[in-house]
Amino acid sequence: MFEQPVIAFENVTKTFGNVHAVVDNNLAVKAGEFLSILGPSGCGKTTSLRMMAGFEQPSSGAVSIQGQNMTGVPAFLRPVNMVFQHYALFPHLNVADNVSYGLRQRRPKPADAELAKSVADALEMVRLSGYEKRRSYELSGGQQQRVALARALINRPAVLLLDEPLAALDRKLRREMQIELQNLQRNLGITFLLVTHDQEEALSMSDRVCVMREGRIVQIGSPRELYDKPINSYVAGFVGKANFFVGPKADTVLCVRPELLEISATRKTLPQGLADAFDVTVLNRIFLGEHTEYLVRHESLGDFTVLSPRKSEHASGVFDIGDKAAVGWHKSAAQILTTT
Amino acid sequence: MNDAKHSRTLTALLLAPAGVFFVFLLVLPLLVMLVYSFGVRAPEGGYQAAFTFDNYLNLPARGKAFTNTLLLAPLATALTVLFAYPMAYFLAVKVSPRWRNAMLVLVVAPFWTSQLLRYYAWMMILGSKGIPSWLEWIGIADVRLLNTPYAVLIGAVYGFLPLMVPPIFVSLEKLDKRLLEASADLGSKPWQSFLQITLPLSLPGVATGSMLVFILLMGDYILPQFLGGGKVYFIGNALVDLFLQSRNWPFGAAVSIALVIIMFVTMYFYMRFVLGKTDQRRVAMV
Amino acid sequence: MSNDTIKPQKFLEELRRYEKGSVTRRHFLGVTGLGLATSVMSAAVPGLQPRKAFAEGLSGTVNFTTWPNYFAQENIDNFTKNTGVKVNVTIFGSNEEMLAKLQAGSTGWDLFVPTNYTISTYKKLDLIEPLDMKLVPNYDASTQDPQFTGPGTIDGTLYAIVKDWGTTGYVVDTRKVKKTPETWKDFFDAAQGELSGKVLVHDYQLTTIGGALKALGHSFNSVDAGEMAAAEKLLLATKPHLFGINSDYQPSMRNGDAVMSMCWTNDGAQLHRDIKEMEYRLGKDGGEIWADHYAIPKGAPNRAAGYALMDYLLTPEINAKEVKSNGAPSSDSRVNAMVPKEMLENPILYPAKELLSKLEFGAAETLTNPVRAEIMARFKAA
Repeated sequence: MFEQPVIAFENVTKTFGNVHAVVDNNLAVKAGEFLSILGPSGCGKTTSLRMMAGFEQPSSGAVSIQGQNMTGVPAFLRPVNMVFQHYALFPHLNVADNVSYGLRQRRPKPADAELAKSVADALEMVRLSGYEKRRSYELSGGQQQRVALARALINRPAVLLLDEPLAALDRKLRREMQIELQNLQRNLGITFLLVTHDQEEALSMSDRVCVMREGRIVQIGSPRELYDKPINSYVAGFVGKANFFVGPKADTVLCVRPELLEISATRKTLPQGLADAFDVTVLNRIFLGEHTEYLVRHESLGDFTVLSPRKSEHASGVFDIGDKAAVGWHKSAAQILTTT
Repeated sequence: MNDAKHSRTLTALLLAPAGVFFVFLLVLPLLVMLVYSFGVRAPEGGYQAAFTFDNYLNLPARGKAFTNTLLLAPLATALTVLFAYPMAYFLAVKVSPRWRNAMLVLVVAPFWTSQLLRYYAWMMILGSKGIPSWLEWIGIADVRLLNTPYAVLIGAVYGFLPLMVPPIFVSLEKLDKRLLEASADLGSKPWQSFLQITLPLSLPGVATGSMLVFILLMGDYILPQFLGGGKVYFIGNALVDLFLQSRNWPFGAAVSIALVIIMFVTMYFYMRFVLGKTDQRRVAMV
Repeated sequence: MSNDTIKPQKFLEELRRYEKGSVTRRHFLGVTGLGLATSVMSAAVPGLQPRKAFAEGLSGTVNFTTWPNYFAQENIDNFTKNTGVKVNVTIFGSNEEMLAKLQAGSTGWDLFVPTNYTISTYKKLDLIEPLDMKLVPNYDASTQDPQFTGPGTIDGTLYAIVKDWGTTGYVVDTRKVKKTPETWKDFFDAAQGELSGKVLVHDYQLTTIGGALKALGHSFNSVDAGEMAAAEKLLLATKPHLFGINSDYQPSMRNGDAVMSMCWTNDGAQLHRDIKEMEYRLGKDGGEIWADHYAIPKGAPNRAAGYALMDYLLTPEINAKEVKSNGAPSSDSRVNAMVPKEMLENPILYPAKELLSKLEFGAAETLTNPVRAEIMARFKAA
């Protein structure tokens, strides 16, 4: 289904002075795919996106869109559109004029009636019908976000580039917008390339996630692949929560996800068939609703986190700070990962 | 209740200096002017109480001063914008931040030197041994600049550029560069982006600078006196002559009142029709 | 110390020197307020004030209001050195403006330099005080040329003492003007004819309207309605042909922008000194003879110092330096005895008797006549 990449980086390197922002990027995004680039700030994800948009040119390598080499082509000639981190809505234009801006740059210019129709459709798509005459400063953050989406999507770009689109929204709104973005992407069939530092966002929305670190791609895969089979401790630590223990060899760690740990009052009451079990002291407890998160200490393993599901509490019990407890895991839960 | 009262008192106190300033330095002098404008000139000059409209009826005697000022002040303001805008754009957009402030200082620096000296220098540049002699050298003979409206326009552009560049510079510098990226991303060529984004968003700066320059030009008398040499006569010159030479205070007061009214009307229309359309003031605050 | 006071003016002088060194009398430094600005500036800097008074009973600052480049800086400096009194020099552009400021009140002036025809008005408006001759021991009425002392004496009381005198004619650049006008009629004919675009008249009602009146065969001082209307008509007809209306005409003459201008004695002498072909002429049909005076305004805040400065400047050897510096002759025979012979023989400074006899002193009426003032203003505004 996803054979022909709609956009591709080919050995792209970008340096600013002597800073290597992006090194040897070979990311390819398939048509219709929702791909997120995930990484901390400074990892090169935004620079990669900006090279695709045409705001930056690669120092070496090439970027292509729909099989066409776009290296050196200015932004205004590229068939992609971008949703900016702070939306970058034009403050002197109303919502309708913001949304129709891309169409109005075309020559010949579409007729007014046609523009109005397109704007109405685009606003309906982002559930902002009737907001045509509003000014951007009269809108809430979420509404501004949707105007930015409509402004980009009205042009039917080959790829929609999204630069931390939800970072400025509060948590609840972010959840809503995540779902909305996903729906839009599915319904329109437009390829989305999203950049984020929020692993939850990347995991929940994307078909594939590309994890970057210090300018390089570390791993590309489906959210489940990244979560279950991280190629190293960096990915394991960035995607989901993980406990790291001293590994069997140099530069390795033993990684166990907190939710895969079992906890009980004593070793005897732990489930059967565990690979290993330890006596620990509870240092902290956070009630998370469906889970309770314990921070525990073992004399030689150190401190680590255990997630105890609510529905098994009747068996495992509930622990107070200072309580003694026993913790163990199944063999399949532990992975040995490299640290580099 | 007490709190509200307290804050009202505080507000009143805080506004008091501005209020006193407004009343004593703006309203009262204007009222004095208004009263004087209905009086008659005392035999030795000055003001003598009376109630007559003669001073207003005599305004056409300074018609040329009004038309000169109302023609040349807006024209000079527009020309100053034309010269200042590219300069401000260059400084705000093209010059690296490291040199930006130094170059801005260079633009503004002439303003700190004596205005008199600068106009004297222009008298020499525009006089027959200056530009006209260079023009003659390339075959354009008998060009007269000094003591013509052209000299006044040149002097105005030169003299007021340091006032026009900074506000435009500020509005261009604070312009969010991502808006230009967004514009390019939506398919707009650089010059289209300039016309659709940069220019409208820098209009508040243009407006501020224009107001500043226009108001100063409307009341200016030194520039026309130096570079107009008595041949280009502004309302400001009429006022200087009426108050300091003829000592006809009532007529001078009437001319002043007329000038104030013209300024208000012009600024009203300027704000209403040039700025009102794009709601620039709101944008400027965002 | 006084040097610091007028630094910007020194600056201007430097600029002028670059232009080939000139000074003008009624240049409008005053109009621009630069004179005022500098005096305020120096008053605001306490370091510039002398620490203590040397002369008996004198202290503080004396505010001296005069015309631009109309005093010897050396004399001002020495006065401060001798008395400890600092001199604030304020520059004015016209007699009308001086009167306007005094009428408005609170000038703070201690000594000023009005022209002959304005003194009676100052007296009438009670703006100047009768001089206390005990405070001017260096003045000797017997050595004064009686033809200039009239205006300063009102009802037998001396209100003002002559500083210097001169004439108003016109200066011609004979390198460019083939036929030098002989009369004011010629002057206006040439201005409208072969010298169109290259002639300057004063920005000053007395001489500009006076010149036009002379060209029409009337008195320089006429306030006759019909004669003034005719003068206005002549001025308005001439205006499109003028290079400018400006009392600061030296730069334009030196630059070659103008080839003829109305001119005062001292400017004529300076232009001729630097450029031999610049000839100063008096109209054969007449013109103005003037005398500038020292006077003490009523309510002078530092009256004693005002008198002291006047007396100092009237001391013959000091006054001789004044004459040599600004080029306008003195009315005091003791001073003339100390002035170089070539100055006394200069026909610009001391015109021939038959020319002098046709000249008129400005009349008081011209200062206050509203029609003359309005004609001048209309002429400028046209």
